Formats: sequence, structure tokens, C-alpha cells
Amino acid sequence: MAERLRTEEMIMNMGPQHPATHGVCRLILTIDGEVINDCVPVIGYLHRAIEKICENRTYAQCIPLLDRFEYVTSMSCNWAFALAAEKLTDLEIPERAEYLRVIMAELNRIASHLLCIGVTAMDLGALTPFLYTFREREFILDLFEMTCGQRLTYNYIWVGGVSKDIPPEFIPKCREFLDIIDEKCDDYEKILTKNPIWLVRNKGIGIIPEKMVHDYAISGPSARASGVNFDIRKHDSYGVYDRFDFDVPVFFGCDCYDRYRARMAEMRQSARIIRQALDQMSDGPVRAKVTMNFKPKPGEVYSRIENSRGEMGIYLVSDGTKKPFRMRARGGSYNHLMAIPEITRGLKIADLVALFASLDIILPEIDR
Amino acid sequence: MELAPVFSWLYDLLLSVGLGITLADIVSLVGIAVIVFGFLCVAALFLVWWERKVSAHIQQRYGPMMTGWHGVLQTIADAVKLLQKEDITPNAVDRRVFFWAPVVTFVCAFAAYVVIPFGDGLIVSDLNIGILYIIAITTFTIISLLMAGWGSNNKYALLGGMRSAAQAVSYEVPLTLAVLGTVLVAGSMSMNEIVISQQGSTFFGLLPRWNIFFQPLGFVIYVIAATAESNRTPFDLPEAEQELVAGYNVEYSGMKFAMFFLAEFINLFTVSAIATTVFLGGWNGPLLPSWMWFLCKTLFMVFVLMLFRWTYPRLRVDQLMEFAWKVLLPLAFLNIIYVGVLAKWLNW
Amino acid sequence: MTKEELTEYIKDNFSGEPEVIENDQPEPYFIVKAEDVVAFSRFIHDDPKLQMTFMMSLSGVDTGERYEIVYNICSYRLKHRVFFKTILNHEKPEVDTVLDIWPAANWYEREVWELFGITIRNHPNLTRFLLPEDWDEGFPMCKGWVGKDVIPFPERK
Repeated sequence: MAERLRTEEMIMNMGPQHPATHGVCRLILTIDGEVINDCVPVIGYLHRAIEKICENRTYAQCIPLLDRFEYVTSMSCNWAFALAAEKLTDLEIPERAEYLRVIMAELNRIASHLLCIGVTAMDLGALTPFLYTFREREFILDLFEMTCGQRLTYNYIWVGGVSKDIPPEFIPKCREFLDIIDEKCDDYEKILTKNPIWLVRNKGIGIIPEKMVHDYAISGPSARASGVNFDIRKHDSYGVYDRFDFDVPVFFGCDCYDRYRARMAEMRQSARIIRQALDQMSDGPVRAKVTMNFKPKPGEVYSRIENSRGEMGIYLVSDGTKKPFRMRARGGSYNHLMAIPEITRGLKIADLVALFASLDIILPEIDR
Repeated sequence: MELAPVFSWLYDLLLSVGLGITLADIVSLVGIAVIVFGFLCVAALFLVWWERKVSAHIQQRYGPMMTGWHGVLQTIADAVKLLQKEDITPNAVDRRVFFWAPVVTFVCAFAAYVVIPFGDGLIVSDLNIGILYIIAITTFTIISLLMAGWGSNNKYALLGGMRSAAQAVSYEVPLTLAVLGTVLVAGSMSMNEIVISQQGSTFFGLLPRWNIFFQPLGFVIYVIAATAESNRTPFDLPEAEQELVAGYNVEYSGMKFAMFFLAEFINLFTVSAIATTVFLGGWNGPLLPSWMWFLCKTLFMVFVLMLFRWTYPRLRVDQLMEFAWKVLLPLAFLNIIYVGVLAKWLNW
Repeated sequence: MTKEELTEYIKDNFSGEPEVIENDQPEPYFIVKAEDVVAFSRFIHDDPKLQMTFMMSLSGVDTGERYEIVYNICSYRLKHRVFFKTILNHEKPEVDTVLDIWPAANWYEREVWELFGITIRNHPNLTRFLLPEDWDEGFPMCKGWVGKDVIPFPERK
């Protein structure tokens, strides 16, 4: 009897349409019961050839494309591209524009982390925190709508500054948001941080040791949850980040739980930065004198900024014409998804969902 | 044929009209079945609406608002919509198993109501093994989930079915043991006897003599196991949406899906009704009519289970098993020993 | 280390002959021969004073006359960066994989193979992943590539 009884591995397709893959990602899982033996990510369902299209657009026309590169934190994407183009053009960015960029990027980071934490909770079966975080995210989106008329793809940070100044009612509204966000963060922590089920589902799950962080170039909060003290805003400062006083929260648990805590701590730090930026900001122009069809000098540049889910890099080659010769965008999720097969080996299907959510993988950034 | 007093007048009436004994039997049974069926359908529809409202208010939303007063007719509209939907049977399914699975679920969910005492004398049939019967018949639901999972010929459904089988078998044990404590006290498995054993007051008249006050541990074990039995968060693994899409019912559509859905809510009502009967004193209570006490307590239990669902994340499948066998089961045994000692000491 | 120190250090300690590109960017930039790529990568990755463990990006570039592969590497621990590129001809573009040194290069190299047609030697899994599996219209990121149904974008005046 014992010889006749045998078990087989089963191949299961998770995706392309699956509620836990945050977009159209397909994971081919080889499972033994509930245990994952192998995982092969299949991507490309959202490939829009942004890099190729950018080669046929002027620099100003590239900015809206970069919005679509990663639509959860479009501000940062805009900024990364603008930064690269500015490095090649020697533009003097007005100070007010620099502050506005910081405020918008940090607000966007909070919105993105709120989304991530809410979605993580939802993927683990708790729908309620998701709606709580979306309530605050809504507030931020209203602020963005007030600023640039858009709620998702902003096209706000342009080469040479920002597209327009903020309306006068923005600052009081923003301060109102900053007043509640810390308290709301406490609320989320009350619901999640010490919840025993949350703990058993996240603690010790999806361990990313420090070596793997280096090998797979994992960045952002996910790297800082594995004990890597590296934040581009601090250690390779861009914009006016060197004028602010903020901490880089580093955790050493390497698991989903610490990635969640790193995001939580980062939201508080972002709020701190915005407060300082609002205090320091002075009046002035918000855009440098730059024409629509400006021509940067020939050269190559790699600019990178700290996005909410890792390093957002733009590699730009200019040949002196009004169009980029080659533009390459690099998002954090790309490397995170690449590392997933190695992290998941031996985990349960339910852990994969937790891991996927805690790494905050967004598919458009991968498929481009 | 032994019927509860409230139904025997119907039986007598039919006899006096001149029907034969066999015919009167059949007619009165059908009549009772229709009444229970009608009540449960209304209850299930109400619970669906209530769950939506409770979840909405927990999440700072309104929930359904447009259909009727605060959307009270929303579930009926949904049911009508589901009735009109095309009943899709995928090609690859095992047709017989696929067809019968929702039927078995539905029938089992209803069959439990034979022995539930809705009020003083309001019981379809007071079986002397009432509680055993309920536990047996509700376990039967699992077979239907397994049927749905296997018959759908879908990997997600299969995993969901497997999970539900494993989960139900594990949680059945602490659940039964928790209920056993009350049987020890009542000295009978009849539902009515259990309720009657909880009449009167205790602690110098301060507290009603409900089992919950003597066996709080048993009650807690029961509630946890019952949450698992009714497949609700934090134990909703069989249909874990984010992992298995929808689990065992992923291939079902239209009315077949609605049957699963309604059966789930009827099960929710069942476990709450059992909790009321064995732990919360059943229909006992002052002033109000007995059926109203029963309904209030049951709905309160339903509300507690809903609160669980909308506040907790979900456990993982192995953690779920561990919890059942390593935590709940020893505690349940401990509870039985404690009840035994207590019963001896208090000389029940 | 500053840019100059890094440049000097790498030039002094690496056995090959990396060519330095002068530019006004804050990081040193080298041109490495295609056959030296693995050795150079190994050197900057393992050297205790460089510790270039973090691959920021690997991009292919088609300049029209030749292919380039650009490696953007940084160090998490020492917070400095080194860029280098290798130049490949159009006739036989081939380069060795750096997958063993930076596992993160896996998908970047697949992408270079898929979109530029540059052969990556010793890569274990060169299969299509961004483009459809039945793609037969060549290598879309190359300059001058025109697809079957590409509508040119109107020029801005």
C-alpha cells in the first residue's frame, strides 16, 4: 500500500488575473499541497514600451509618460526624469519649486505607503484597515487635485520646476492633514501592530537576509527592514533634502512584519519633512526659464531618487537634440519580483500573498 | 410521531377535519417545513443585509442605502438578480457532483433547524439526542464543500475544498467537547432539556443560571470553533479571496452560488442559535416572550461573529491546525474536567 | 572616496586597462573591453575598498553604429558609485553574463537580449518575457527599428 500511495506536485497559475497580484502578474507555482516548491514570475502583460516611446518625444512630452510608469507615486517618477534632464541642462531650479517638489513627493510617499499597508491588511483577510487607510489617502489625493487637477497621473514636476504654483488654500489644508496623520498612524498601529493574528502571519515570514538585499539590489523600505541603512534622500541627497532633519528608520527583522513597520515609521518621517518644508518655504517663481523644445547638452546621466517602493532611477542619454536618445527607467519592484522565487521557496501560498503585499510590488513599474 | 406542543394543534386540527392519519402526518410536516423554510429564508436575507450594514459602519461607510429603508431590500434585489443569471456549468466539471454540492449544502443547513428551540415549546421535534444530531448534520456541510471543490475541476476550488475539510474535521472536536460540558450539566442531550436546566438564578439571585457563567472557557472555545465551522474570518481559509480567489465556489454562478451564499448565512445563524441554546440560556428570560429572547440572544451572537469578521486578519492553514489541536483541544478537555468537578461539587 | 580617488584606485588595482570617460557627473565612468567585463565586475564587487554590491541598473544602448551595455553599480555600505560600459560591434554582439556576481542582473540581461538582440553568454534562462512569446519583428529598442503597425508621432513645431 505504501508504495502505491504517492503524491505529486501540482502546477498552479496565480494570475494574470488574481486579486493578490496587484496588477497583471502571473506566477507559475509548483506546489506540494500548500507548500511552494518553485515560483516562476511571468511578466510583460502591461508592457507599453515607455522607453521606446520616449525616444520619439521631446523631454516635456516624456513627463506624462513617466506618470504611467508607476502610477502610485507619479510625483517621484516625474521628479526622477526631471532631475536627469536638469543634470544635463545646468538649469537653476527656483527654490520654491524645490520645496514644492519635496512636499508633493513626500505626500505621495505617504499615499503610497497607506495604499501598501491597507492592501497588505486586505490580502491577509482584514478588509477594514484598507478602508481606513484609503480615507486618509483620499485626503492626499484631494490635495493633489487642488494643486494640479489630477488625482493619479499628475504631470506636475516638470523639467526646470513645477507646472504651476499651489493655490492659497493648499497650505492650511495640508497642515490639517499633517495634524491628523500621526494620530491616524497610531490608529492603524492599534488595529494591526500588536494584533496576534497579524503577528503570526507576518513575523518571520518572507525573510530577506542582508546578503540577498545586496545580491538582488533590493531597495527602499524593504532593504531598510533588512538592516541596510541606506536612504537616497540622506546618503545621496538630491533636491533640498539636505536641509531637513529626519531619521531613516532601519529594522533588523528582515521579515514582512518589519517591512510593515518600516513603512509605518517612514510615513511619520515624511510628515515631519513636509512640516519643515512648509515652514521653510518662501515665495518666488516656481519654474525656471526653459522652452518647450529645449535641447540638453550631449551626455549620459543616471539620476536616482528614493521612491516609496525602492530606488527609482533614470538613465538618460542625450545626443544634443530635443529628444532623449535613450531613456531607461528602473523601478524598485523589478528587483523585488526578481527575488521572489528565491524568497518563496518552502513558504505556503498564504505567505506568498503576504510577501507580495509587503514588498509592495506594482506591476506597471516592472513591465514599463 | 412526536411533535412539539405548538405543532400538535395543527395535527389535531387536520385530524378533526377528517383527514386520515397518514395524510395529516404529511400535511402537518410539510406545513412545518414551509414555516421553518420561510423563516430561515427571511433570516438569511436579513443577515446578509445586516452583515453589509455592520461591516459598512465599522468601515465608516453607509453600505446599501438605495433599495428600501437603508437598503433593507437590497438582498432581495440581489437574490432576484442571481436568479436571473445564466447558470453556467463549465465543460470540465464532474456534472453530478457539481450539481449536487449546493443542494447538499442547502439541505444540511436547513436540516439542523429540526431541533432548535425557538421559544418555549416552539421546536419542531424535541429529539432526545438533539445536540448530537445538530453536530452531525452541520458536519455534513463539509462533504458538500469537498464535493464542490472536487467537482469543479479547478485547482483553486480543490485547494479550498481540501482546506475546508481539514479545518472542519479539526474544529469539530473542540466544538463538540465544549458543548459536552453543558450536556454534563443538563444530564440530557435534548435541546429543550438543556434550556430548561438553565432556568432560575444563581449567585444569590444576581445572575441567571446560564451555562456561560459557569463555563466561560467552554463558551470561548465554542465561539472560536463555531467561527471556524461557519468559515468566517479569521478562519475563512476555504474561500480566502486573496489566496484562492473564492475557493470552493469559484466556478459557481447564478442560483447555485446563491445557495452556497445563503447556506453560509444560515450556518451563521445556526451556530449562534446553538450558542444561545446551550450557553446563553436559550429562550429563558423575563418579561419578553420566549421567542423574542431567543432571537435577541441569537442576533447578538451573530453580531459578535460579524465583529470578528470585520476586525481580524486571516490565519494561515497550518497555524489554524496548530491552534485547533494544540490549544483548543487541551483547553476543551480541561473544561470538561472542570465541569465534572463543578457538577459533583454543586451536586447537580 | 571621491570621484578622483575612485578612478585612481580602480585604474591602479585592476589588471586590465579600463578607459576613463571624462564628464562632469559625480561618479567615475569607465569603458571596459567586452572580454574584461566579468573580471572587472568581480574586482569591483569583491574589493574590500569598493564593495560594489548593488546593481542599480544595466541598460543596453544602440547608438546606431555600435551597441553599448551600461552598468550602473553602487555600494550600499560605502555609499559610492561606479559606472562602466562595454562596447560591442553590430556584427557579433556578445558579452558574458555577470549573473554570478550580481544576481540582480538576471532580468536586466534578459531584457537586453530580448530588446537589442545582444547575446549574453552563459545566461541560464534567455527567454522572452516583456514581448509576446510569438514576437517575430526583430529587436524593437534598436535605432531605426520600425514595427509593422507603428504610426509616427506628429512632430511638435
